[in-house]
Amino acid sequence: MKQELIKNSIRHILKYAMLILLCIPVNLFAQTDSTATKEADTKEEAGLIAPALDFIIVQKSDSTIDLKAAMRAKIKGSLMRLPLLKITFFQVSDTAEKNLGFVITDNNGKAVLTVKKDALTNVKDGSLLFKASFAGNKQMESADGEMTVKRGLLQITPVKEDSLLTVKVKFITPGNGMDSAMKDVTIGIFVKRFFSALKIGEGTTDENGEVTVEIPGNLPGDDKGNLILMAKIDENETFGNLEASVTQPWGLPVSASLEKQPRALWSAHPPIWMLITFIVMMVIVWGHFIIIVYELFRLRKEEPHLEETITNT
Amino acid sequence: MELNTYEQEVFNYQRSNIEKFGKRNMIWSLFFLIFIMIGLYALYLQIAKGHGVTGMRDNVVWGLFIVNFIFFIGLSYAGAIIGGVLHLLKVPWGKPIVRLAQMMTLISVIVGPIFILLCVGRFDRLHHLFIYPRIQSPMTWDVMAVLTFFAGAVLFLYLALIKDFAVYRDAKMNIPAWKQKLYKILAIGYRGAASQKRHLIISQNLLAIIMVPLSIIVASILSWIFGMTLRPGWHSTIFGPYFVLGALYSGCGVLIVAMWVYRKMYKLEHYFTDKHFSYLGYGMMVLGAGYGYFTFSEYFTGWFGSAKWDNEVINKLFSFHEYGGWTLFANLAGIVIPILIVAIPATRKPNWITLSAFIMVIALWVKRYLIIVPTLETPALPMQDTRMEFVKYSATWPEWALTIAGIASFLLFFTLISKFVTVVPVSGLEEVNFPHEPHHHHHDVATNKDEIKPA
Repeated sequence: MKQELIKNSIRHILKYAMLILLCIPVNLFAQTDSTATKEADTKEEAGLIAPALDFIIVQKSDSTIDLKAAMRAKIKGSLMRLPLLKITFFQVSDTAEKNLGFVITDNNGKAVLTVKKDALTNVKDGSLLFKASFAGNKQMESADGEMTVKRGLLQITPVKEDSLLTVKVKFITPGNGMDSAMKDVTIGIFVKRFFSALKIGEGTTDENGEVTVEIPGNLPGDDKGNLILMAKIDENETFGNLEASVTQPWGLPVSASLEKQPRALWSAHPPIWMLITFIVMMVIVWGHFIIIVYELFRLRKEEPHLEETITNT
Repeated sequence: MELNTYEQEVFNYQRSNIEKFGKRNMIWSLFFLIFIMIGLYALYLQIAKGHGVTGMRDNVVWGLFIVNFIFFIGLSYAGAIIGGVLHLLKVPWGKPIVRLAQMMTLISVIVGPIFILLCVGRFDRLHHLFIYPRIQSPMTWDVMAVLTFFAGAVLFLYLALIKDFAVYRDAKMNIPAWKQKLYKILAIGYRGAASQKRHLIISQNLLAIIMVPLSIIVASILSWIFGMTLRPGWHSTIFGPYFVLGALYSGCGVLIVAMWVYRKMYKLEHYFTDKHFSYLGYGMMVLGAGYGYFTFSEYFTGWFGSAKWDNEVINKLFSFHEYGGWTLFANLAGIVIPILIVAIPATRKPNWITLSAFIMVIALWVKRYLIIVPTLETPALPMQDTRMEFVKYSATWPEWALTIAGIASFLLFFTLISKFVTVVPVSGLEEVNFPHEPHHHHHDVATNKDEIKPA
C-alpha cells in the first residue's frame, strides 16, 4: 500500500517534470549561433584581439593590380570591421620581399593599394606572389595574408551591329613578347548600378580566348544614357579576380537629380496656404489668450478698498 | 467676498476638505508615490540602457507610451469641450461638475505629453522642434497644438477658480501661512466689485468660446498624425471626427468615475446627485452610439474595399489568433454595455453607470492600442529584421511600470488638487444649480420653489 503510494507520487512528479520541461522554450538551450563562421583566426584570445586579414587581388584591364585587404575580428561575439589599421603590402620573389607601400584601413576595415605594372618585379613564369601584413599593436595580434596569381588580362570591346548590342571580351595572358589566349574560362558580364554590379549575362571563352555577350537595349543609364559595362572573372584558381570595364551610351537616359516637385513631404518650404492657415490660427487662439490675461490684469488693478467693498455688496 | 446662503453652505460643507489633508489621503498619496517611484526607476533604466528596454523596435516604433498619450490627451480635450459647453449654454445642473471637467482638462494635459517625452530618444534635441520646425509636418502641428491647449487649460481652470480663491482668502481658515498667501496671490485682488465681475465674465466667455473649437481642432490634429500617414488602418478621412468623438466619450466616462469617487470620498451626494449621473449617462449613451457608428463605418469600409494591406489589418483585428479577443472587448465593453446600462431604467443607477463607464474607459484605452500596434505590425515594405520581437510588439515591464506611474500621477494630481480647492465650486452657485434638492439643511428654503430642469 505504502509502496504503491510512493510509486504513484514518483510517477506524478516525473509526469509534471516532463510537462514543465516541455514548456521551457527550446531556444534557451540553443545559445550557439549555428550560422556563425567558425574560423580559428577570428577567435578571441585572453586580452589580445586576434584579427583576420582577408586578402584578394584584382587584375584590371589597364594592367594595374588592386591589392585589397580587409581587417575584421570577433569582439564580444560580434564581427567587427577594424578601421585605422596600417596594412603593408609586399611582392614576394625568390630573393626578396619588395615593399609596395602601406594603406590605412577605412571605416569598413578595407585597405586598397593599386599597383602599376612597372612597379612589379618580373618573374619568369608570370606568376606573382603578394603579401599583405598587419604588424599588430597593443590591443591586437599581428595578421597577414598571402596570394599567388598568374598574370592575366581581360579586354572588353563594345560592338554595335544594326540594333544588336554586344560586348566582345578577350582573355589573354601576357607572355614574353607574345600574348596567349585562354580558352574555356567563364566570364560574367555586368552593368554597374547604384550600389553594386548587376549581372546581365555570361559566356565561356573559345580557342581565341574570346566570348561575345548580348547587352539588352533597355537598361536605365545616367542622364546621358551612359552605361558602365564590366567583364569579370571571380576567384579563378590561377588568376584570382580580373576586371575590365567600358563606358557606352547604350542605356536609356534617366536623370539622377530629383525632378522639380510641385509638392512633396520633404519640400523645404510648406505651401503658402498652409503657412497662412497656421499663422492665422495661432494668432487667433493666442490673441484670445492675451486678451484674457490683459483682462485679468485690469481686474487686479481695479481692486476696491476693503471698506468700499463691504458697503457695495 | 460676500457669499449668498447657498454659496456659504457649499463652502462650509467642504471647508474641512481643504483645511486638513487627512490620514486617508496621505496613505492614498503614498500609495501613488510608490508606483511613481517604480516608474522613475524604469525611466532611469530606459535612459541608462536605451530604448531597447522597451518593446519598441524598428517596425513597431510606437507602443504603450503613445497609447497613453492619446488616451490622456483625449481626456483633456473632452474636459475642455464638456466644461466649455456647460459654461456657454449655462446649463443649470452643470455648475457643480464644471470644475471636475476643468481639473481633468489640466491634469491630463500635464500627464499625457510626458509619455511623448518618454517615447523620444533624444531629449537633448527637443528644442529643435522650435528652432527648426517643419510647418508641413503633422508632428509640428501636434506639438504646437498641445502647447497652445496647455496654456488654454491653465487659464480655463484658473479663471473659474479666481472667485473661489477670493472666498478661501477671506474665510479665515485654519491653514498654514504659505497657503493663505498663495490664495491671496491667486485671487488677484478680486473683491466682487461690478467692474471686476465684468472683466472676469468677459474673460470666461472668451475662453469658453475659444476652448471648444480649439479642443476639436487639436483632437483632429492628433488624429492626423495617423490619418495623414499612408498606412493601412490609419489613412482614413473620418479619423478627425472619430478621435474627437472618442475623446469626448472616454472623457465623459472618466468624469462619471471621478464624480463617483469624489462623491464617496467627500460625501458630496447633495452636489453630485443621481440626476448628474443620469444626465452624464445620457451623454455617454449618445456619444457611445455615435462612436459605435464611426467604428462600424471605419471597419466596414476597410473590409468591403479589401485593399491588400487594409485587409491584412482587418484580418488581424478580427482573427481570434491575433487581436480578435481585444477587438471584441473594445467594442462590447466600449460601446454595447454602456449604451445598454443607460438605456435600461433598472440599471440607470449611479453605481451601474459608473461601473459601465469605468469598463468603457478601459475598453477605449484598448481601442487606442488596436489603432496603433496592429497597423505598425503590418508594414507595406517587407521587414528587414524578422526576429520575433521585431515582428510582433509586446510591451515590457518598464513600459507597464511607466504606464502605471502615469495613471498614479493622474490620480495623485486629483488627490492633491482636491486638497487645494473645493471639488464643487463655491462661488456663483444658486438654487437653480441643484437639479435635485439643495442641501438638506436648507430644505425649508427650497421647498417652495420648483425644480428647474435643463431644456
